[in-house]
Amino acid sequence: MTYRTRFDQELEELKISLIKMGDLVTKHIHASLKYFLEMNSELAEKLIKKDEEVNEMEYAIERECMRIILREQPVAKDLRLITSILKMITDLERIGDHAVDIAKLTVFMEKNEEAFTVKETKNMVDISEDMIKLALESFVNQDLSIARKVVEMDDLVDQDFYTIKNQVAQAIRESDIDADYAIYLMMVAKYLERIGDHAVNLAEWVIFSILGKHIED
Amino acid sequence: MSENVFKINNLNLYYGQFQALKNISLQLKKNKVTALIGPSGCGKSTFLRSLNRMNDLIDDCHIDGDILYHQNNIYQRGYDVITLRTKVGMVFQKPNPFPMSIYDNVVYGPRCQGIKNKKKLDDLVEESLKKAALWEEVKDRLKDSALDLSGGQQQRLCIARAIAMEPEVILMDEPTSALDPIATLKIEDLINELKENYAIVIVTHSMQQAARISDETAFFLMGEIIEYGSTDTIFSNPKEKQTEDYITGRFG
Repeated sequence: MTYRTRFDQELEELKISLIKMGDLVTKHIHASLKYFLEMNSELAEKLIKKDEEVNEMEYAIERECMRIILREQPVAKDLRLITSILKMITDLERIGDHAVDIAKLTVFMEKNEEAFTVKETKNMVDISEDMIKLALESFVNQDLSIARKVVEMDDLVDQDFYTIKNQVAQAIRESDIDADYAIYLMMVAKYLERIGDHAVNLAEWVIFSILGKHIED
Repeated sequence: MSENVFKINNLNLYYGQFQALKNISLQLKKNKVTALIGPSGCGKSTFLRSLNRMNDLIDDCHIDGDILYHQNNIYQRGYDVITLRTKVGMVFQKPNPFPMSIYDNVVYGPRCQGIKNKKKLDDLVEESLKKAALWEEVKDRLKDSALDLSGGQQQRLCIARAIAMEPEVILMDEPTSALDPIATLKIEDLINELKENYAIVIVTHSMQQAARISDETAFFLMGEIIEYGSTDTIFSNPKEKQTEDYITGRFG
């Protein structure tokens, strides 16, 4: 016979909420890059407003975690699970913020420029999406090997970042790119690189929730 | 919005000259667990016992104010206390099964009420023990002495005995303080299930337990209710400093 069925159910619901939040922020980063590449400031503006949804989800999960800590007084793996969720929602919220950062750059851009480094930036978003999804999947299944894989995937994001940096530098040297656009593009690349880092953080919290200790450097 | 089962207005209770409860006003709702917390001697058990007139047994105890059970004042002259106690059952701190078989414990009350039909009594035993999450553990030894059960099982038997009377309210006075952590969890899970059908009022010294199982919490101090509200609010953001000090272990 198992006890605390209500508690187990609450934990399951919390995991589902976390996955929904992950889904939402990945949608936002896809959209923000798309609007940047298409220079669609109108849709970028709308996306900025949608960030409120991400914040609401963060608060809702935070409230639920606090309620569970109060109600169920979790210990051992349950305590680590709740603690990890509280940290993971901060990373997810930051990812959402970076989607907003990119959208704001789109709004700031005054002129249309031909999209540059499309393949690499898109690739960065695709890999980040995979990382976020896999990190959350590894959390739900408490799967250490997948979490570790996510940590390694960050190298791919970093590679794209350096490729973009080199291509932009080359274009600047050849006076082949608008100066403002070059700066904005590098900022976008940096935000995408930071999104990869936050996805790594997610995986590291998964590892903590399983092992009870932080990943060794 | 849950229906009020008990409505208490300006209740004062005295043991001789000593005033044990001061101006208590509170509503107890159906399908809710209400926890009464506070330091020893604060009046929470006295209050609990006043709800089914257990304090009548104490000679120099007298009260003023109203305790309305479905709009009727249970302290009014001529009120049927026997019926009240069938509707408002009680479970005590120490399991107190009668020294008889498990079966006879459960049917003790119904038999007193004149139910003799064996089939009916058998059904009642099964139903009550199932509701008290004890049936699977004892169904093959219903004729064994209740005193041979473990402490946790005895307490669930006492709950089954209360349920057999088909009450509406179950009062629990520190029902798990004599039990180990696993037996405590079983009772807490049970309380969570029981609230589907009953109003439950529980006195507990464990604030963690109050936080785990109750919907509403009343904090008693020196015979007064300092704060009463939703358990989530009381334990996460209480309004009164005295409540905060007590639940955070700063005094008491």
